[in-house]
Amino acid sequence: MDHFPTNWGRPKYDSFDTHATYPIHNRGHAQSAASNGAVQHTHFSHSKSALRQPIVTGTSVLAIKYKDGIMMAADNLASYGSLARFKGVQRLHPVGDYTVVGASGDMSDFQYLQHILDGLVISEEANLQDGHTLGPAEIHEYLSQVMYQRRTKMDPLWNSLLVGGVKDGKRFLAFVDLLGVTYSASTLATGYGAYIAQPLLRKAVEGREDTLTEHEARTILEDALRVLFYRDARSINQYQIATITANGADISGSLKLETAWGFAEGIRGYGAQTQ
Amino acid sequence: MNALLSKFSATDADSEIRTAMDLAEEDGLTDAMWGSQAGFGQLVQGHAFNIPAVPNPTAFLRLHTDDHADPNCKIKIQHGTTTLAFRFQGGVIVAVDSRATAGSYIASGTVKKVIEINPYLLGTMAGGAADCQYWETYLGIQCRLHELRNRERISVAAASKYLSNLVYSYKGMGLSMGTMICGWDKTGPTIFYVDSDGSRLKGDLFSVGSGSTFAYGVLDQGYRWDLTDEEAQELGRRSIYAAGHRDAFSGNTCNLYHVKEDGWRFIGNYDITKMHYDGPGAVPGSLGSGYGYDVRTDNRFSVLPKPVSA
Amino acid sequence: MPDMSAIANPQQRQFNPYAENGGTILAVAGADFTVIAGDTRQSEGYSIQTRYASKVFRLTDRAVLAVNGFAADGNMFVKKVKQRLEWYRHNHAKDMPLRSIARLIQTMLYAQRFFPYYVYNILGGIEEDGTGAVYSFDPVGSYEREACRAAGAAQSLLQPFLDNQIYFKNQTAARGYSHPAHLPLPDVLSIVIDSFTSATERHIEVGDGLEMYIVMAKGQTLPDAVTNLLPEELPSTGDGERVFVLKRDLKKD
Repeated sequence: MDHFPTNWGRPKYDSFDTHATYPIHNRGHAQSAASNGAVQHTHFSHSKSALRQPIVTGTSVLAIKYKDGIMMAADNLASYGSLARFKGVQRLHPVGDYTVVGASGDMSDFQYLQHILDGLVISEEANLQDGHTLGPAEIHEYLSQVMYQRRTKMDPLWNSLLVGGVKDGKRFLAFVDLLGVTYSASTLATGYGAYIAQPLLRKAVEGREDTLTEHEARTILEDALRVLFYRDARSINQYQIATITANGADISGSLKLETAWGFAEGIRGYGAQTQ
Repeated sequence: MNALLSKFSATDADSEIRTAMDLAEEDGLTDAMWGSQAGFGQLVQGHAFNIPAVPNPTAFLRLHTDDHADPNCKIKIQHGTTTLAFRFQGGVIVAVDSRATAGSYIASGTVKKVIEINPYLLGTMAGGAADCQYWETYLGIQCRLHELRNRERISVAAASKYLSNLVYSYKGMGLSMGTMICGWDKTGPTIFYVDSDGSRLKGDLFSVGSGSTFAYGVLDQGYRWDLTDEEAQELGRRSIYAAGHRDAFSGNTCNLYHVKEDGWRFIGNYDITKMHYDGPGAVPGSLGSGYGYDVRTDNRFSVLPKPVSA
Repeated sequence: MPDMSAIANPQQRQFNPYAENGGTILAVAGADFTVIAGDTRQSEGYSIQTRYASKVFRLTDRAVLAVNGFAADGNMFVKKVKQRLEWYRHNHAKDMPLRSIARLIQTMLYAQRFFPYYVYNILGGIEEDGTGAVYSFDPVGSYEREACRAAGAAQSLLQPFLDNQIYFKNQTAARGYSHPAHLPLPDVLSIVIDSFTSATERHIEVGDGLEMYIVMAKGQTLPDAVTNLLPEELPSTGDGERVFVLKRDLKKD
């Protein structure tokens, strides 16, 4: 959503529906144009990019720095518009020995990224054997180059990615998105998480990066995921947590969020009240 | 078919980075950049500019850079100007203002809108500042090459035609420049007006830019062929002052050049506000007083009461 | 029956390859030094993405580049300029002079005339004649040498302040006195710091941190008033120009 009041009420350039709020069948004219054979042909031969939009999407990814390294969390849902289409999707992907990449946005683009990252690790470690291995900083640099280059071709990989890891005793946590924009901070969140979870994470983590225990870090992320599940209609109460420490990356199995809905009863507009 | 294959077959890590490197080369990182042609070497390669991969690149450019169509567009290219040049018995007078605007913001008040192509040629800048600077620098390179190849200076007609042909090849792609190529060649003092639509006109007197109408008013009124050098310089200053006074997109200072048989000479830089109140100072041709009508009439016709001196 | 109007008049609402990441940059040239500064906040809309992302980069011992606008374009552009400067060093066994870097930046920006880098550049440093210089650019490469320039989100707040304090615009010197052509370094630094604290107060996209790069001409030393601020000296290649970095906190709200 565009938060600048001066931009409100103006025609928008980007039809892109950041948080997949609209049902797929009425997202602009792109669909009807694509269904026409002739139009599709011209776009197929000239630019496959013009009509692209995210289809099967994942929502927020969260990550924080803590005492022993990086902890990252994402739920297991891949949505098709407003439909909760795939409920067992892993959105955290280990790359090499030191790094985990978490993705929100288009899941097919993420699968493609997993494919090229796996290829990258194989060619680096198997073919070169020069004693160097790719750490999180290198993976992030590679990803940001790929993402920026694809946006420059007007054919973006429609994702927001978090890259976290530990190598040579140094923690690394950074973001890159479909425009190639990058940044780094001790707490990061993509999608709705940037609005809902990020303030909670900053409050809990900033200034305590070197003292937070694994248990505390896990609790912080679970609390943030729970708040997201209450308010983000594209989220689900199953999630995974990745911990990356000096000992390597570990991605948990699918976990269930403990939720309590008793509070909703007294809130007008939350439950089934008719008036 | 090959294009299709390459578009859809490349899916490994190496190929992604390879395409990234291809893109880097599209930016012109080629051997041609090593030599004395510097960044301009890329033009020799025949793929000078990176074009966005969209069905209509011009619409794309307009969407993101045209602050007239959309005042909220992010990339604001600098605009707004008054420039003038005229021919008379003593050579060519070139006078310009120095204001650059981006939207309603005055991005700079110290712009050099006269581009010194070489010691005998001047170009003026109106429209896109970068378009004028870049292509007139490029024109300077070509003029020097012409000298080296032909053992004589390029004529103003040839130089202006070179520029005209060049911008015409980009017609419709969003270049914006209205320029006067001024100089002295075998035929004497010469002015050509060249713009990005492809027009190229020979003439005695031109003014270009948002303030040109105001400048023309003064210019037409005071212009004669047999102006003395001093009178001509004063006319140039006075015309730019008029434009700076009445056009919001022009102002700050006036830069004045005089082209004679032995090349151009920079006459001076004059503050427009100062010209309003005090005149251009003790320079040849100056009347010695301010140009402002309220100054000239000593405020007798002002609706405001005459200021009382303390 | 397909929607024919959509086919006859395809409203292609396409991918927008640009974003605006806020922040402000600023540079002031002195007689024998230049100060180039930028805040460290990176934002999009009302969200602060990070409180520490550099916008100012050292290119050589005598050149510093500040970039502002779309962060991805800015980082890529700096990367490419650095690459070209390294190639130059390998070929000519010396650093590229400042005015040549300025022209290089123009041609690199103009190469993207039809798909511009959404970046406002300010280049600061020391010329070959030992004077401080600032070059400012528009996104497609028009440039000009100046004594001071602000760009970015708060340029319209800062530039009038600099016009008044650096160029002494709309100030009348006391009878018998004249305005100095160049200010000394301690004065420039306090103007720069005041500029950013004020911009932080009045602009939501400015704040968090301030990085000031100081480039000193050959043979010049920092005045005591500046040494006391404990700037960090960046490693340089020889006994020529020197680059220092001063960091300050700005308000984080």
